[in-house]
Amino acid sequence: MPDLSWLYAFVAQALPLPCMQARFMQQALVALLLLAPMTAAMGIIMVNFRMAFYAEAISHSAFTGVALGMLLAISPDWTMPLFGLAVGLGITAAQRHSDLASDTVIGVFFSGMIAFGLAMVSRDRSLARDMQRFLYGDILTISETEIWVLLLLLFFVLIFLARTYNRLLYVGINTTLARTHRVRVPPLQYVFAGLLALIVMLAVQAIGVFLVTALLVVPAASARNLSRNAGTMFWWTLLISTSSAILGLIVSAQDWARTATGATIILIACCWFACSLLFARGTRT
Amino acid sequence: MEPNKVAVAAPPVLCDSKPALLFEEVTVVRGGIPVLDAVRATVPIGSCTAIVGPNGSGKTSLLLALLGELSHQGQISFPGYGGERPRIGYVPQRFTFDRGLPLTVGEFLALGFQTRPLWFGVSPRVQKKAKTMLAQVQAEHLLRRRLGALSGGELQRVLLALALQQEPELLVLDEPAAGVDFQGEYVFCDLLDNLRCSWGFTQLMVSHDLPTVTHHATHVICLNHRVVAEGPPQRVLTPENLSAIFGLHMGMVSLKSMPMAQAGCTAPCCQPQAENTADA
Repeated sequence: MPDLSWLYAFVAQALPLPCMQARFMQQALVALLLLAPMTAAMGIIMVNFRMAFYAEAISHSAFTGVALGMLLAISPDWTMPLFGLAVGLGITAAQRHSDLASDTVIGVFFSGMIAFGLAMVSRDRSLARDMQRFLYGDILTISETEIWVLLLLLFFVLIFLARTYNRLLYVGINTTLARTHRVRVPPLQYVFAGLLALIVMLAVQAIGVFLVTALLVVPAASARNLSRNAGTMFWWTLLISTSSAILGLIVSAQDWARTATGATIILIACCWFACSLLFARGTRT
Repeated sequence: MEPNKVAVAAPPVLCDSKPALLFEEVTVVRGGIPVLDAVRATVPIGSCTAIVGPNGSGKTSLLLALLGELSHQGQISFPGYGGERPRIGYVPQRFTFDRGLPLTVGEFLALGFQTRPLWFGVSPRVQKKAKTMLAQVQAEHLLRRRLGALSGGELQRVLLALALQQEPELLVLDEPAAGVDFQGEYVFCDLLDNLRCSWGFTQLMVSHDLPTVTHHATHVICLNHRVVAEGPPQRVLTPENLSAIFGLHMGMVSLKSMPMAQAGCTAPCCQPQAENTADA
């Protein structure tokens, strides 16, 4: 794989802070700069489709993905995203082919997965220690391979969204209307759900199981309050997501803070949300 | 067909003896109960056909089967369009959507017509088309308004503009009068009549509002799981038929009050001599 040190040197120069001189910080920043735009753009559609609970279920299946890897003696780096993808496509298929409400379908998958993961972990006490890493996330130990995976995924997500963003919004607003416009809904839904599952799984490693959904939902929700049309909403989401990621990383590295990076990012995003609420109230009166 | 021009005179377009739409033995079963039972009906080309019937009589199901949203037995064919599926514009009944979504009417009208993602704005070509269509439904001023902030009547016009943008050969409306006051409904139906005559599309609407039907429809299908009666309103909306469908005496519809083809469609198939009635 080509060397990425020029990129790390670039971010170190762009942000000449003492904390940014360490390589792991530079790697973390690059990873976040790749992850944040993806979660921002996919978050808008996700909120539009009301799929927050879906993202939650996928992130929790990370447990089971890791446990499965341990069980089969395959690296969790493979089993986790692949398991997430399988669960995502499974949920989408079940939603399409059953009369149950979609949150009920996800609820069933969700509990089944957690139960399986817990059963695996309880068999082997040493697994429990590894699990902590996934609960809170650990952006500072991200590897160069993972950065390459993020880069590749960002590429695919951008191409996918550039081709289908409008249609995805349309389906989210009214499926029947979109269909009369010759939008082929099932392939769109499957590809979107699959990409979202992969993003969630990668984000779990950075932000942790608990906070992945927040990274997808909070920027999009704040941008809704700040924008008057769909065009500006996209750019607001991007700005909020990326700025929260950068600020969160820097703040968490300060001596006075020393907080978990994932949690700090989400806290800053939530500050954005609070400001957006004030703004929305201000413009309404 | 020139969509930009609103012709006053009605050109007898697209009119031959073949019906636009033919329902043959259409059966839809939902939850084990037949909602539609071997429905046979025709929609004359160029007509304003209304499907009337009480709540739960399968009116919306028939439309959804036509749109391919509901699986059905039997055949739905389009003889008037050479057997091919025509371009269909659809105006839904209850358009529930997330009203908090920041989306302008202009952006909404662009969704199905532009691949370039909305983050780069609406292309001038699509914007111009949307504006023209809004002008057709007398709603040009709504272009920059937020979709979620529209009133029921305004939203209905925007949805009609969206359907017109597809340059429909068949316009399908589900309860166009729902949620609008009497005056608004009358104006809306008048607008539809003018558009139909100048554009030459066939209009198929579901309604349980009999005054609207008597004033605007040129062909009526009375539905109560099966087709009870079919034909021009003057012949079909008789007290006997109405009490058979709705199960009560409908004193409000007087045959004398029915205008003769007031809707103004001059297509020969809409005229009384060309009717083909299938009274049950």
